[in-house]
Amino acid sequence: MSTSSSRNPLELVDRYLQAVRFWLPKTGRQEDLLAELGEDLRSQIEDKESELGHALGKDEISEILKRCGAPMLVASRLGPRRHLIGPGLYPIYEFVLKMVLLWILVPVFIFIVGPATLASTNGDWGKTALVTLGNLWSGAFVAAGIITLVFAILERTHAIADINCKWDPSSLPPLQKPERKTSFVQTICELAFNVFGLVWLLLVPNHPFLIMGPAAAFLKLGTIWHTFYVPVVLLTVAVIVRLAVTLARSQWTAFPLWSQLLQTAVSLILVHYMIQAAGYTVHGDWHPFVTIADGLSRSEQYVRFTKIAAIVNVALLISLVCTWVGLCIGGAVQVWELLKHIRKQGTVSQQPASVQLR
Amino acid sequence: MYVTYYMSNGSQATTEVFENLKLELRRGCLTLAVLTQLRTERYGYTLRKALADDGLEIDEGTLYPLLRRLESQGLLVSQWREEDKRNKRFYRLSPVGEQILEQLLGEWQRINTSLSKILQEA
Repeated sequence: MSTSSSRNPLELVDRYLQAVRFWLPKTGRQEDLLAELGEDLRSQIEDKESELGHALGKDEISEILKRCGAPMLVASRLGPRRHLIGPGLYPIYEFVLKMVLLWILVPVFIFIVGPATLASTNGDWGKTALVTLGNLWSGAFVAAGIITLVFAILERTHAIADINCKWDPSSLPPLQKPERKTSFVQTICELAFNVFGLVWLLLVPNHPFLIMGPAAAFLKLGTIWHTFYVPVVLLTVAVIVRLAVTLARSQWTAFPLWSQLLQTAVSLILVHYMIQAAGYTVHGDWHPFVTIADGLSRSEQYVRFTKIAAIVNVALLISLVCTWVGLCIGGAVQVWELLKHIRKQGTVSQQPASVQLR
Repeated sequence: MYVTYYMSNGSQATTEVFENLKLELRRGCLTLAVLTQLRTERYGYTLRKALADDGLEIDEGTLYPLLRRLESQGLLVSQWREEDKRNKRFYRLSPVGEQILEQLLGEWQRINTSLSKILQEA
């Protein structure tokens, strides 16, 4: 091939046009565009030849072709502007993609698919994590593919072309209120409440009436508290430290957000294990949280005490499950707040110096 | 301030910003120049040469899509014809193109006058 090029250097132009043809969309205009480009290149060669006074060699023609550009780039410039999703639809596409992937798919996998997988793998956390992540990856891939396809079709069919004509200024969302900072008073109140809670927690083992009131006469704390009492106390201490740091370092804007998220995550794990532990104590009477006080087994009211203990245990289990759900929702909101904060910080750091200085 | 900021991020960013702004500035001017040149019939290469001789270089990848766009808008008419034993596509301004060009030139003069005034004031 190189031998024929050296014999007939103009053959390079034909090879070049052939390469451009490969990348050009196969429309009726393809041959037209190629003929025009070929004519332009030949005119350039002709001009150069008359300027130099001799026929151009392979290297000189290569130089002209190089200046014209790589075939793929030339084809992309010559051909029609093509895009899967145009600038008009792209912001909506990005918004929908984020909504579906981050705020629907991920929570569904964390709070529904993950626990379901955990149940099916008999509590094997490692296997559950692997299976859930694998499914999440393929789910995200399929969801992103479908969304892209739908938007590509919308782009092709110009389905939202009249969006510009239909919008109404009065339908614009109301102005967002400025971001509310955690107030000093609120943090002080939280701190006081937690200190009070810690004192109460420390007193409960020796003074059960603080938690059970008059029922302390016939009920006592169940075995589950022997395992979880210390973690609960430690968590309360950690919360107090967190609030104290928040008060002392009010300039740390990210700290309250991520520390609260961490607190929620630890609480979630603790509550999860408490619910799990309550489920394991099924042998004999099910009294995980409270049980009948010692020495009452021969009492005439034993049956009545047992019923009360059962009601209290069920009520506590339900409240723990509700707490777990509440923590999940709280965690999701806190993740959102943290992401918003990170994005805001990113935007601020990307702003020009002139804007930041204002 | 913007320039200072971008310079702190490297001269490459500054060059990129300049190139993008230059491209924007040239885009409208090129259309006007092409339409003006095509008051007399020309084919692609001679049009490119004429523009380059007047200091407005334009590459093939920009000119030919622009010519097609202007033709599809009805501002140009084209015709394949043989010249010097080679087939060439000749372009010229259509009657509609002539009208539009007059309006565009009027607009250009107005912008030019305003800009000159602004630059003098600055």
